[in-house]
Amino acid sequence: MLTGFLQIVLYLLINNCYISEVLLLKVGIVGIGITSFGVHKEPFYNIAYEAAKKALEDAEMERHEIDNVVLGGYDVAVGRTISNMYTAPAAGGYLKDEIRVSDDAAYALALAYMRIKSGIFDVAMVLGYGHCSETPMELVELLSLDPFFHRDLGISYQMSYAMQSYAYRMRYGIDDETAAEVVVRARKRASKYEYAHVREEVTADEVLSSEMAIFPLRKLELPPWSDGCVALILAEETIAKRISSEPVWVEGLGWHTENYYLGSRDLAELFSTKKAAEKAYKMAGCDAKDVEAAEVMDLTPYHHLMALEALGFAASGRGKEVVESGFPVNSSGGALCTNAHGTTGLFLTASLALQIRDGRDRGIASAVSGYAAQNSIVTILGV
Amino acid sequence: MVLRIEAKWEIPYVHSAGEHATKFFEALKEKKILGVKCPKCKRVLVPPRAFCERCHVDTDEWVEVKDEGVVETVTINYARFTGLPDPPYAVGIVKLDGADTGMLAYLGGVDLSDWKKAHEKLKVGTRVKAVWKDKPEGRITDILYFKPVEE
Amino acid sequence: MKRVAVVGVGQTKFRTRRDDKTHPELTREAVSRALEHAGITMDDVDAFVFGTMDPFDGINCPDRWSSTAAGFGKPFMKISTGGTTGLTTGIAAYQHVASGLFDVVVAVCTQRVGENVDAQPVLNTAVDPIYERYSGVGAISVAAIQATVHMQKYGTTEEQMAWVSVKDHENALKNPYAHIQKRLSVEDVLSSPVVSSPLKLYECCPRSDGSVAVVFASGEKAEEIRDNPAWILAESSISDSYFVGDRPDLAVWDSLTIAGRRLYRLAGIDDPKKDIDVAELYSPFTIQEILELEALGFAEKGEGAGLAEEGVTFVDGDMPTNPSGGVLCTNPIGATGLVRLGEASLQVMGEASNQVDGAEVALAHAWGGTLQFHALMLVSSHKKLRR
Repeated sequence: MLTGFLQIVLYLLINNCYISEVLLLKVGIVGIGITSFGVHKEPFYNIAYEAAKKALEDAEMERHEIDNVVLGGYDVAVGRTISNMYTAPAAGGYLKDEIRVSDDAAYALALAYMRIKSGIFDVAMVLGYGHCSETPMELVELLSLDPFFHRDLGISYQMSYAMQSYAYRMRYGIDDETAAEVVVRARKRASKYEYAHVREEVTADEVLSSEMAIFPLRKLELPPWSDGCVALILAEETIAKRISSEPVWVEGLGWHTENYYLGSRDLAELFSTKKAAEKAYKMAGCDAKDVEAAEVMDLTPYHHLMALEALGFAASGRGKEVVESGFPVNSSGGALCTNAHGTTGLFLTASLALQIRDGRDRGIASAVSGYAAQNSIVTILGV
Repeated sequence: MVLRIEAKWEIPYVHSAGEHATKFFEALKEKKILGVKCPKCKRVLVPPRAFCERCHVDTDEWVEVKDEGVVETVTINYARFTGLPDPPYAVGIVKLDGADTGMLAYLGGVDLSDWKKAHEKLKVGTRVKAVWKDKPEGRITDILYFKPVEE
Repeated sequence: MKRVAVVGVGQTKFRTRRDDKTHPELTREAVSRALEHAGITMDDVDAFVFGTMDPFDGINCPDRWSSTAAGFGKPFMKISTGGTTGLTTGIAAYQHVASGLFDVVVAVCTQRVGENVDAQPVLNTAVDPIYERYSGVGAISVAAIQATVHMQKYGTTEEQMAWVSVKDHENALKNPYAHIQKRLSVEDVLSSPVVSSPLKLYECCPRSDGSVAVVFASGEKAEEIRDNPAWILAESSISDSYFVGDRPDLAVWDSLTIAGRRLYRLAGIDDPKKDIDVAELYSPFTIQEILELEALGFAEKGEGAGLAEEGVTFVDGDMPTNPSGGVLCTNPIGATGLVRLGEASLQVMGEASNQVDGAEVALAHAWGGTLQFHALMLVSSHKKLRR
């Protein structure tokens, strides 16, 4: 007994720990709140409140039981310089610890994980907000380019994704029909998913005959701009098990940033997603073959395929085989059907969490941000 | 010598006020100020909002508050800033009769040229009343300013 | 929870404009100095956390460009929370390491307010366009309305507030990175033009361009890296409600008292006056240092005003406050909070440019929003609080 105690003391001294790692357990999702996605009449902070309330109801919890809020979303997109001034109280953050990532809210989940895993906090409200209907998002994103080398060239956000699509298409000989098929399948799944924004089914012919928007992307191959919010409640293992009989565990996380200068990158590959996935698999101690479902942030049908390759489901250029195999990818309809800039990635992660609740053992979600997927974050969830 | 490039951001936004705030602005057209009462903590919140931040519950009980109240604090701006009104102008927080929170507003009706004298006239606790635009349009600026009530 | 320490601090010289460098080049200057201070290289860094307030620099999400200097090819996370950004970026970096996921993480904040012809329109968009944006409230006004109430309630005088400015400007003369380096007398402050009554020009901060980087390391690494790491004892942050009219009493900063008490509880501090040797507070306006000292327990309510005049908050006083010259002399808005942590860390390392004798415990603070947010970190030369 005494020896055991001394061992723990020694362990603490040697390892520079406040709390023995024996006490630091898993982190689980215990509450999920997703609002409808589309064009909202209410301001973003009221939608954020709705998402937070839904997550609390889902977890059968009160606001007072959370000890911190971790927000994710963009300022300029919603037209407020410190947008967390609005969303912190909406998330239930009144007189609580607060922080925000100014990126896709999938990063907020990773930060909340670290805040809990470190033992600093017990229960976090993660809230992502996106509201695209009040301003031209192309302009907002254009202003993220430096004013010297890039902005004057007028390269829109979608153009950078189109450049990647083109590079990928050319290198691997991907045809129009393959891309159209990705859209057809995405719409079909979105039609059955209550939270998705664009839910009308389309045929391959309709996709192929829709007008050319940004070569090689046709109108129906571009994602919508959506309004909506997502809230997830994360808790440390012992508390999570008291709150929920079915916590969804965060098993792996990885994120990575690529070079800003497009000319310095291989655009035919999602390198940041690939590196992020490597880290997430390492942390979870598994690989692609252990995963039963995926949600990928496919801002184009080509990114759907590239993401599947980056996540290790297929070799480079063979992503279409995963689509044909019927492996469950984007049961939510993906970003092609729902894209609330700032929380698209967290929307996909939350959608994956719902699938884990429904019986899948393990799933993976990937999100991207920045021009031509400069940044990427990968989350692995499981039971 | 370095190159300097001038740039200007012009991003158009169409901000939705939402149902709660819309009701507030509609009432302003009739020179009425509305607040909401939190069903839990019973505070009357002005300006009205769709949820009580403290209790995290919906607020749907509407209460009309007076266009008269007390000054909680004041400052007079004498500097010129892009996008802000021409100086001098006074801004403060006014707690309206019937409300439990203060509201940010312009204060006026006193000579602002000497800040010490003006502060004396707009002291914390001074009773003030709204001076309205002749034809309110349903914007926050329909209340031109609050001015001291003559005793 | 892993023990975590600050092992390197790097700053650029802060100026009104830095025309000589681009955004990433400025970031690189701070990161290189921090790595050099820690005696490590980019290869030793496991992840970056980047903080900035988005639209001030005329680039939306400038982190995407600036990441070319802050370790692209690594995990990179962007934090933005308003005036607290610098310190919440530090908190996030600390949590990266405390979680056990990373061993060495660099927090870096770059802000180029100078590129913005007038920062006020940007600050205005922080204010609700529905209710409050058209009420003519500038950043200074928010502090001025605190001053009005404090003066009326506690009898705080213009001279007492002026002394805060005199003290900060005196301190900044010793800090090579400080933006404003100019000796001021009480008369100078009092005779400067009133900007937003009762606050005068020399009671207000400048707008600064610059970058700051802080290196965090896990316990084992920290001890390998240097003999005098600044150990992180605790952090705390808080959000109030959105509307500034909701604050129950503007003469006291009660949300900071709550956040401070939580911090002290975590760190085991009974008496902040005795246990904390030096504070780097986010006080862009004189009145705010007074309110902060009171809210954090360094003075009784209503008695903070006299501390500068009495010499208590000078570097050789009982409660040295802002020995770096503080925010009153240097304010690169979204980077300012991290400068506070960097300076607090240098104090407990014994390496500050305006060193407080024997400083062992230092406090870093930042506030943001319209008096809505606070963030706090406490660092020490020892792993645990020693009394």
